[in-house]
Amino acid sequence: MRAVEVVDCHVLVIGSGGAGVRAAIEASGYGDTILISKTIAGKGGCTPMAEGGLNAVLREEDSCEIHFEDTMKGGAHLNDPELVRILVRDAPKRMDDLIRWGAVFDFTEKDEVAQRPFGGQRFPRTCYAGDRTGHEIMMTLMEQLRASSVSILQETTAIELLKDGNAIGGAIVLDRDGEMSVIKADSTIIATGGGSQIFDITTNSSSGTGDGYALGYRAGADLIDMEMVQFHPTGAVFPYDARGRLVTEAVRGEGGILTNTLGERFMKSYDPERMELSTRDVIARAIATEVLEGRGTDHNGVYLDVSHLPKEQIENRLPLMLEQFLKYGIDIRKQPMEVAPTAHHIMGGLRITPDCRTTLPGLFACGEATGGVHGGNRLGGNALADTQVFGKIAGAAAGNEPKRTIHIDEKLIESQRRRLGGFLKGTVNPADVSRQLKKAMWDGAGIFRNAADLEKTLNTANKLLFEKLHADSQRMVSECCTVQNMCTTALLVCRGAILRRESRGAHVRIDVQQTWNSLTTPYRHTYLSRTREGIEKVMPQ
Amino acid sequence: MKDITLRVARFDPEKDTEPHIESYTVRLHNGARILHALHAIHDTIDPTLAYRYCCGSGQCGSCAIRINGVPGLACMEEARTGILVEPLRLPVVRDLVVDLGPFFKDLASLVPKEGAVIPKKAEIESIKPLRSCIECMACISVCPAMDVTEFAGPTAMRQEMRLALDPRDGNDRIRESVGTGLFTCTSCQACWKACPKNIEIPGKAIEKLRALANREGLTLPRHTEVAALIRSTGRSVTRTEPTFMELMDKTEIEPVGELRAEVGFFVGCMYNMRLPKTALDAIEVLRRNGFRVIIPREQVCCGSPLIRTGQIEFIELLKRRNIEAFKFRGIDTVVTMCAGCGSTLKNDYKTPFTVMDISELLLKYGIEQPARLPVTATYHDPCHLLRGQGISEQPRTLIRQVVDLTEMPAWCCGSGGGVRSGIPEEAAALGEKRREEIQKTGAEVVISSCPFCEFHISEHTDKPVKNITTILAEGYREKDRKKALGEKPVS
Repeated sequence: MRAVEVVDCHVLVIGSGGAGVRAAIEASGYGDTILISKTIAGKGGCTPMAEGGLNAVLREEDSCEIHFEDTMKGGAHLNDPELVRILVRDAPKRMDDLIRWGAVFDFTEKDEVAQRPFGGQRFPRTCYAGDRTGHEIMMTLMEQLRASSVSILQETTAIELLKDGNAIGGAIVLDRDGEMSVIKADSTIIATGGGSQIFDITTNSSSGTGDGYALGYRAGADLIDMEMVQFHPTGAVFPYDARGRLVTEAVRGEGGILTNTLGERFMKSYDPERMELSTRDVIARAIATEVLEGRGTDHNGVYLDVSHLPKEQIENRLPLMLEQFLKYGIDIRKQPMEVAPTAHHIMGGLRITPDCRTTLPGLFACGEATGGVHGGNRLGGNALADTQVFGKIAGAAAGNEPKRTIHIDEKLIESQRRRLGGFLKGTVNPADVSRQLKKAMWDGAGIFRNAADLEKTLNTANKLLFEKLHADSQRMVSECCTVQNMCTTALLVCRGAILRRESRGAHVRIDVQQTWNSLTTPYRHTYLSRTREGIEKVMPQ
Repeated sequence: MKDITLRVARFDPEKDTEPHIESYTVRLHNGARILHALHAIHDTIDPTLAYRYCCGSGQCGSCAIRINGVPGLACMEEARTGILVEPLRLPVVRDLVVDLGPFFKDLASLVPKEGAVIPKKAEIESIKPLRSCIECMACISVCPAMDVTEFAGPTAMRQEMRLALDPRDGNDRIRESVGTGLFTCTSCQACWKACPKNIEIPGKAIEKLRALANREGLTLPRHTEVAALIRSTGRSVTRTEPTFMELMDKTEIEPVGELRAEVGFFVGCMYNMRLPKTALDAIEVLRRNGFRVIIPREQVCCGSPLIRTGQIEFIELLKRRNIEAFKFRGIDTVVTMCAGCGSTLKNDYKTPFTVMDISELLLKYGIEQPARLPVTATYHDPCHLLRGQGISEQPRTLIRQVVDLTEMPAWCCGSGGGVRSGIPEEAAALGEKRREEIQKTGAEVVISSCPFCEFHISEHTDKPVKNITTILAEGYREKDRKKALGEKPVS
């Protein structure tokens, strides 16, 4: 039996976005903490790309109760009320942390953290740093991470969780050269973010491949509401290779207006009260409908226009948007942008308790990898808040766990070796599999769903999961692991979508007639694990 | 869709001793970026190609590479046929992947002060220009000081300034930055020009940190001496021979032949005091080409030695004096021959007149054709001309009228930013690198357009180092000599 290198720690954090880094900083106060990131730590994931802002109740005129109601309503009442209560209660405290750590948020003339209006909220409570809020948060967190005792393993990929009986005792990981080793940990935190890269058109970075969902699922954890995929209404459409990139909600928050090819502000037909600041699911469906009914552009999009705003406002509040569009030949101070829906965020994920425990002992999760916080649709600005609130809770809870002896299952190590060895002998290009999967998911599990297309897509994803992927050398086996995680995540999304026979939040079943709304629905979470699946029913009164 | 051919540097640490270039042709959609070309190569031609990427939208810095020798983000720069794609000029791990680890360690972290400190909006606004760094390390990869000294690097200094401006930070960032190489920066501005976020590190971080260091009494003694000299004499160097001003007995110099334009002449301390003969060559060339040259005698040091070293106490006095000297005479165009003075007048002053470098001016009006000289030459781009003023073609066009030009890579000579006086070993080490490059060109003469470069490089090469106006003047003298002998000038 070849020896594999084993490293020990108290807390292992998988993922280096806003949630992972926040968790690691917190956990480091309790014991040896290792953070692994498959990218350069702090660069991967969606947090550094997040533009709009972080929601927190900071003003006298605002209240946690209003934030709670906004979030529950935005989530189609599928959210776990307790998780939402924690989110809205702790977001202001986590803002305090960030400010104390030096975050350079925009400030008002009164020397307070500035806040702007955002979709689905009755009070402007979205704290922001220009249109690069996520970058600001990551820079602040990375400074504290580097100053802490956390051991950062760069470009290290977790390929399987280490099971010790029913509990999780760490992970099996690959370094940049594809060499396998084991990290044993008393607690493991999954903070791997989302999985919207399984769709052809997406805002996500390269790491949004659902690794955490797949790792947790394969280890036996419960996942909920995986069908709940947020299609952000405004993704760019040009150039082709950069389609789907995020055009932040802040553009609408600053006063941007949406028009179809007839020049109509069409949101008046879908949400006349809130117009462009409706919730993302409503606007995404609105745009998709406008396009389906022939009022969309050649790129299957609509127009988003800020040219009526003073150019200084665009330059100060939306500098990144200005810069990006200028690179592609559009001056948003003078011309409208073309936008279309793009897969952005998965509201579902690993089921967690209020202290971020998953259904497996020793396994915690925080951030987009979890389910229940955002229900059926996420409000803009609540995701960054989620990373900070639950990152901290996961770090503390994991840190508080007692030390224990962890046994390494040699059979698990051997099976992973065989898995990797199989890739070296494989015959199918992982890039082709990824492309096919993304196209199938976009066509068959997109904004408007029906059972037949979902079943067909499920079968495609399943077939692709079992393709014999090829790695040219040891160094490239992690690419194959990632593609497998994408297929698994796609399967979970399809299964959840088939299980939920209703339209709710971001999930639309055009083949289902329903007489209820999100308050009178008989359904709660869909749940999936390796041993069971179903949809929870509301208990009869 | 279109076919694009890229040349990509490949390096396999297990097989290669050095990188080699491979050519790939891929079919891409319109508007595709270099990153998409790399994806196409990886997905359809060679899956072993190693490169980094994450966000694909210019926000994470992972995909920083060199494109035709210039740092940029692969995800933001358009894929065009024929381009050369290489890793950043840093230790290569494989193909386009470089080792960044050591550089993250040099970035300081905010140390929260005791008690709740809330910044003011004004403080936030002052920090913001320094905050958009995505840690791509492009600046680090082009910094000449880091090649030869212990310097934490441009983005590390940017971070120090960001912390120094923040009331929440509890550490002494001035001493820290001085200790990690603040004074090793030559102010070459390569970092700023390489930065995908256009962060003005030299002006907004290095110079400002040095100004804060000055308030703490940490300015290098050699620099304080220069400031004292400027304060008492108006000049940054001592008089060791008759100055240009003394040799020019008139304020207004008439052209030879027809008058085409009138210009003010800003001589600068170095040409005035150390290289006056070169300044006389410049006057000769200007007169020959129809310029009336006004040389106000009240002009003093432009102040650059003070600004670059953070000693800005009386800089406004110098600025006012220099502006008045030309304004009073109603001059609307001032010509500089020193790259440093020119960059300072253009960027650090608000002048009511236009400032032009002499090569800009001469090309704008066109010059009399000189005779060719039978020497091979190479041109050293002064940093304050190339990056400080964006001037690179004009000197070359002028030079090529007189001599054959062989190019060498543009790299700081090491004498700027107060380094020649403050840290002479560093300046010498960088000067020696110029020696190597000059030798590689096989040129017999080195031409430049900055007195610091000319002075410094002449100590680090056995070839003669001449100013561009000297070459032109020699071309005219040769032309006159041939004419006097009845020979036809070679053109």
